[in-house]
Amino acid sequence: MASESSGRTFQEYLAHHLQNLVYGPLPEGHERKFYAKGDTAAEKDSYCQDKGMDYDGSKYCKETLAEDGWYLANNKTDVEAMGFWALNIDTLFFSILLGSIFVFLFARAAKNFSLEKPTKLQCFIEMMIDFINGVVKGTFKAAKNTLIAPMALTIFFWVLLMNVMDLVPVDLIPYPAELLGVPYLKVVPTTDLNLTAALALSVFVLYLIFSIKSKGFIGFIKSISLHPFGPWMLPANLFIEIIDLIAKPLSLALRLYGNLYAGEMIFLLIAGMVSINLAELTLTGIGLNLAGIALSLIWAIFHILIVVLQAFIFMMLTVVYMNMAHEKFEQH
Amino acid sequence: MNLNATLLGQMIAFGLFVWFCWKFVWPPLLSAMEERAEKIEQGLKDSEESAKKIIKAQEEADSMVKSAKSEAKKVLDNAKQQADKIVEDAKNKANEEKDRIVSSAQAEIDKEVVNAKKSLEKDFAVNVMAAVKKIVSKEVSSTDHDDTIKESLNDFRK
Repeated sequence: MASESSGRTFQEYLAHHLQNLVYGPLPEGHERKFYAKGDTAAEKDSYCQDKGMDYDGSKYCKETLAEDGWYLANNKTDVEAMGFWALNIDTLFFSILLGSIFVFLFARAAKNFSLEKPTKLQCFIEMMIDFINGVVKGTFKAAKNTLIAPMALTIFFWVLLMNVMDLVPVDLIPYPAELLGVPYLKVVPTTDLNLTAALALSVFVLYLIFSIKSKGFIGFIKSISLHPFGPWMLPANLFIEIIDLIAKPLSLALRLYGNLYAGEMIFLLIAGMVSINLAELTLTGIGLNLAGIALSLIWAIFHILIVVLQAFIFMMLTVVYMNMAHEKFEQH
Repeated sequence: MNLNATLLGQMIAFGLFVWFCWKFVWPPLLSAMEERAEKIEQGLKDSEESAKKIIKAQEEADSMVKSAKSEAKKVLDNAKQQADKIVEDAKNKANEEKDRIVSSAQAEIDKEVVNAKKSLEKDFAVNVMAAVKKIVSKEVSSTDHDDTIKESLNDFRK
């Protein structure tokens, strides 16, 4: 199912799939554009008039807002006009849904925990707890902190579940949603920089808090100013340490985002090879379809690895950073 | 791709999930798992101990059976000895009884024989006397010949 089914070019299809469903404020006088359905100009014109809008002569119906208000963005210009105070509804919805599923499963297992007769779900959850506990015990040795292990568990499972959404065929959810009137839908929350940056920033905030808590504020300042060259090279120390500090959340956020975004992009490119327009199917078209199906299978199998690996890396680095935050400052 | 307020929303969501996990998921699961680990350890220890106990009890039972066997043998031997003694005693007693009965019978017989001899002697003497009386009544008085008869009787007795 690709571009032609919705009357778009392939570029538009790609751009459409990479756009979040944004809900935000639009100012009075902002001109909104909607995609006009129909084959001829007349059909498009009547489609626009049905919706109470003007036809712009080529592809879109347009509407000028009479007052300020919160709207669903319909294209890039809308999103840009909304600025910072806008929400990616799809990212929020899917991430919170998946996070709730995770929390629900684990909380239920904790509540129904049976020493004598474990269910299969409980066995799996115990295995996961054991695995996370092992990782945290092996890596986080600087101090005692009961928050680290549950946080690692949350990060691993939440990120894993969100990444797994990448294995859902690219049009399976967005296409029916579009038919139901949802203009854009990105189902993989980790392909949204907002989410990965939120996780990384949260981890970074905790890093700063625990650093200052364990080293003291003076100790923390010392650790970024007297390192690694000694007090005589203070500006160089500060420069290096601050870059090092900022690189932590940045690399966390961008690694996860980049991997999943690229993965999703490749799924989309492969999906572009597949056509369901059977009437116009040529021999080359059949070949391309088969190749697309085979490629998406291969990429999905390979992606299973990436999905788990990226979740694990995010969790692992978080634990490592937390360990660094808890280390006492030592003068070298 | 632009950063927007979603960032803040996600940070709040992340914080809530971590907090929930920290308070309600991790501690009960981990403590339950540790409890089970302890239980399993205790169970293994207990089973080891009871295995040792079983071996000890087996040994005890073996020694008990052994001593019981030897005791039984002793009792049996004693009983046999006693039985032998009883049989022996009975035999001896029987023999004595037999001897006594035989000897008393013998005495009886001897007495009978003597009596028989005596009565025979008497009868014979009477008969002889009667006969001799018949023969000699006419010729001699009985007093004259008593000595002779006595003499002959004495000879006969010999």
